[in-house]
Amino acid sequence: MVTAEKRQELLDRLKNAVIQYDEDGAKEASNEALDIGMDANDAIFNGLVSGMEEVGRLFEAQEYFVPELLMSADALYAGLDILKPHVKQLDLGVKGSVVIGTVEGDVHDIGKNIVKMMFDVAGFTVYDLGRDVPLDKFVEEQLRTDSDLVCLSAMMTTTMMGMKKVIDDLRTKNPNVKIMIGGAPVSSDIADKWGADGYAKDANNALKDAINMVSSLKKLKEEAEAKKKG
Amino acid sequence: MKKHRVIFQPSGRRGEVADGTDLLDAARNLGVDIESICGGKGTCGKCKVRVEEGFFEKDSMDSRMEHLSQLTEVERKFLKPSDGPGMRLACAARALGDVKIFVPEKSRAGKQIVRKAAKELNIRVEPAVKKYFVELEKPSLHEVIKGDLEKLLAALEKNYGLSGLSMDFPVLKDLQDTIRKGNWGVTVSVWKGREIIKVEPGFIEASYGLAVDVGTTTVVGYLTDLATGKVMATESMMNPQVPYGEDVMSRITYAMTNPDGVGRMQKAIIDGLNEIISNITKALSAEAPGGGEAIVDMTIVFNTAMHHILLGFNPEHIGRSPFIPAIQHGLDIKARDLGIRINPGSYIYVLPIEAGFVGADNVGVLIAMEPYNMEEKVLIIDIGTNGELLLGNKDRVCSTSCATGPAFEGAQIKMGMRAAPGAIEKVKIDPATKEPLYKVIGKEEWHINLEKIDAKGICGSGIIDAIAWMYRAGIIDKSGRFDMNVESPRVRKDHEGKPEYVLAWARETSIGGDITITQGDVRALQLAKGALYAGAKLMMRRMGLEKLDKVMLAGAFGSFIDKESAMTLGMFPDCDIDNVYAVGNAAGDGARMALVSLTKRGEAEEKARWVEFVEIAVEPAFEKEFMQAMHLPHMKDSFPNLKKLIEKESPHVVIKG
Repeated sequence: MVTAEKRQELLDRLKNAVIQYDEDGAKEASNEALDIGMDANDAIFNGLVSGMEEVGRLFEAQEYFVPELLMSADALYAGLDILKPHVKQLDLGVKGSVVIGTVEGDVHDIGKNIVKMMFDVAGFTVYDLGRDVPLDKFVEEQLRTDSDLVCLSAMMTTTMMGMKKVIDDLRTKNPNVKIMIGGAPVSSDIADKWGADGYAKDANNALKDAINMVSSLKKLKEEAEAKKKG
Repeated sequence: MKKHRVIFQPSGRRGEVADGTDLLDAARNLGVDIESICGGKGTCGKCKVRVEEGFFEKDSMDSRMEHLSQLTEVERKFLKPSDGPGMRLACAARALGDVKIFVPEKSRAGKQIVRKAAKELNIRVEPAVKKYFVELEKPSLHEVIKGDLEKLLAALEKNYGLSGLSMDFPVLKDLQDTIRKGNWGVTVSVWKGREIIKVEPGFIEASYGLAVDVGTTTVVGYLTDLATGKVMATESMMNPQVPYGEDVMSRITYAMTNPDGVGRMQKAIIDGLNEIISNITKALSAEAPGGGEAIVDMTIVFNTAMHHILLGFNPEHIGRSPFIPAIQHGLDIKARDLGIRINPGSYIYVLPIEAGFVGADNVGVLIAMEPYNMEEKVLIIDIGTNGELLLGNKDRVCSTSCATGPAFEGAQIKMGMRAAPGAIEKVKIDPATKEPLYKVIGKEEWHINLEKIDAKGICGSGIIDAIAWMYRAGIIDKSGRFDMNVESPRVRKDHEGKPEYVLAWARETSIGGDITITQGDVRALQLAKGALYAGAKLMMRRMGLEKLDKVMLAGAFGSFIDKESAMTLGMFPDCDIDNVYAVGNAAGDGARMALVSLTKRGEAEEKARWVEFVEIAVEPAFEKEFMQAMHLPHMKDSFPNLKKLIEKESPHVVIKG
C-alpha cells in the first residue's frame, strides 16, 4: 500500500541518493519502491531525475565538479536499471530520438556521455555512435533511424573543424533535422556560423547543457505540434 | 579591395589592412603580440583591446568605434563593465574603417622570464663535426694530374686516416679560392667522418655547435664549444608563433584553416632561430669570424607539432586521433634547406619522435635522464604546455602524453599569466588566519602585508602553491569546493555569486583590482592534475607497479614548482619527498647531449623505438581514474609519505595513510 507519506519518503530517498552519489542507497530505495507497488514512472521522474536536476544546479553553481557529477550519474543509473523494466510506458513529456557522438579524430567522450545520459533519462531513444566517429556515419545513422536530433561533440579545436562538414551534409540530405554541437572549443558564434540549431556551452557545463537541450527540444516539439494542429 | 589604417598603441605599430580584417589578424600582420590563448576562436577572452576614439591629428586619423564591426555575443560574454569603456575582443572586432587600438598591459603577450638555464652536463665529448688542419704542398707544373680536391683528400687520408670523404657541393665551388687565401693551409670540418661541410682558410681552432629547444611558448638556444662541450652562451625568446595561437592545437588549427598557414608559422620560427643565431654569435666575432656561419653543427628538440611546423610538414594529422606523425626517426637536414643561417653545408640533427604527441622533446628528456640505465622505478614528468610522462627502469620504460591543457602555464586561470615580472610565483597561507604570504617575480623579498608590490597576476608555480595551501588551510575541501563558512574577508563570492579567495588586495597590485583564485581556477587545475595523475596511475598498473621509487619533475615549469605543493595536490602518486627531484630543462639537456655526443644520438634513435608508448585516453579505465584523480590529492588512493609531511601543520586536512 503506497501512502502519500511513504511515497514522499521514498522519493526523497531516491533524490538524495542521487545528490549524495550513493549508489547503494539508490538501489535500496528503488527496490523498496517496487516492493510496495509504487509506480516506477513516478519513482524515476519525481525521485531520481529530480535529484539529477539538483545535481545540475550544484554543478552550475560550481559546487559540484565532474567527479561528483559522474558519481551521481552512477547512482542514477543504478536506480534506473532496477526501475526501468517496470515502466509500462515511459513518458516523461518528450518523445524523440537522437544520434550522438564525438567527431572523427577525437577520442574524448566524457562530456558526450553525460549529455547522452540526460537524453536517456528524459526518455529519448539514443543512438550513441561513440567516439572518433567517421563524419559520414552521422549522416548515415540519421537517415537510417530518422532521428529528430543529431548531437556532435568535440574536445579539440582541430577536430571541431569536422563538424562543419557534418552540418552541411545533414542539411543537404535532410533539411528538417535539428543539429546541436558542443565541446570545449565550440562557441555559439561557431554554431551560428556553421548553421547548427543549438549549442552546448562547454564540457564542464555538459549536464546543464543537456538539460537545456532537452527543454529546448521540448519546445521545438511543442512548436511543431502546434504548427500541425494550427 | 578597400583598405583601412590601423595603429596599435603603445607599440606604435601601424599599417593597412583589408576591409573586414579582425584586429587579432591585423596585430599579427603588424608584429604586435596580443594574448590569444585560443588562437582567435573566441573562447578565451584574453585578447581585450581598447578603441581610442577621436581625431588624431598627428596621425591624421579619425578613429571611431563605428569603424569596427558590431559587438558580438562572444564579446558581450567576456567584456565586463569593470574593463572600462571602448573595450573589444581583438579576435571578434573587424576593421571597417580607420582605427587606433590600445593594447592594455594585461592583453600584451609580454616578455617572459626564461627558466631554461643550462647546467653542467657530465658526458664524454665526441661531436659529429670535427675540425682538421692540413697544409698542402703548393702545386707545380710537374704535378698537373692532381686537382685541389684530390690533393686535399689525399692529405686528410694521410694525416688523419680519413678516407672516402664526400664533399658538400657549394663548398667545392669555393675550394680553390679558400686554399689560396689560406696560403695552402686550410681547416676542414668533417661531418661524421663522412662529408666535408666546410673549408676555412688557415688554422681555425674554435668549433661551435648550437643546441635548440623549440618549446610551444619559449625557444632557447645553447651555443656550445664542440671541443669541450661547454655552453658559451644562452639566448632565448618567446616562440614567434605565439601570435598564431598559444597552444599546439590552436596552431594546428591555424595551419588547417589558413592558406599557407604552415608556411607563415614556419617562416616565423626560422626567422626567430636566425635572430637567436645572430645574437648568440655576436660575442664570438673576434675569435670566429662569420657570425652564424661559425656554427658548424646544430640539434633541435621540440614537440611533434613544433617539429612538423618548423620542417614545413602539414601538422593536421598529428592534431587528431590516431595522431600519426609524418616521420618518427631522427633527421639530418642541410641548414640551407631550412634557411637556417649557420654554416650552410652543415646538417641539423632533428631528434626522433616517440609516438604521436610524445615528441623529440621527450626523447631529449629520455636520453638526458636515462631511466633505461636505472635500477629504481622512476616517474619522469615533463610539464610544458602538454604533460609527458616516462615511467620505468632498465627493464622497461613506458611513455604517454596527458592533455593537461595550459592551466599549469597560467592560461585558463582568471588572473593567470606567464612567468614574467609582476607574476606571483610563490604562495603560503596561514591555516589559522587564512592570510597569505607571497613572492612576486622581479622582487627579492616575500611580500609583507599591505605594501604595494605591483603584482599583476599569478604564474603556474604560484597557482600550484596557492591552491595547495587553500586546501591545507581548509578554504577548499578535498573535492575542490570552497567552504563558505570560513571566516575571512578573503573568502567571498564574486559578482556572479561564484566563490573566490583574495590573494592580493587591489592596493598591492598594479592592475587596479584584487588578484583572486576562483572556484573556476581550482576546477581548471583539478582537470590538469587529474590527467597527469591518471596517466601515471594507468602506466603503473600496466607495468604492475604499486609504488614509485623516484619522481623527477622536468621542464621549465617542473623546475620551479614547489614539490611539496605538487604532492599535496596529488599531481603524481605518493612518493618519499626526498626522492622527488626538480631536474630542470631536461629536454634542452638532451639536445645539448645529442649535439656533443654521437653515442647519445645513437641512444636517441634506439631508445625512442624501445620505449613503449601507451595511449591512456582510450583505456577503458581512464574515465574512472581521471575522475578519482581530480580530488585533492585523490578520491581513494593513500599517501603515507604526504601524510607524514603535511598533516601536522595542516589541521584541516586528513590524508589517507
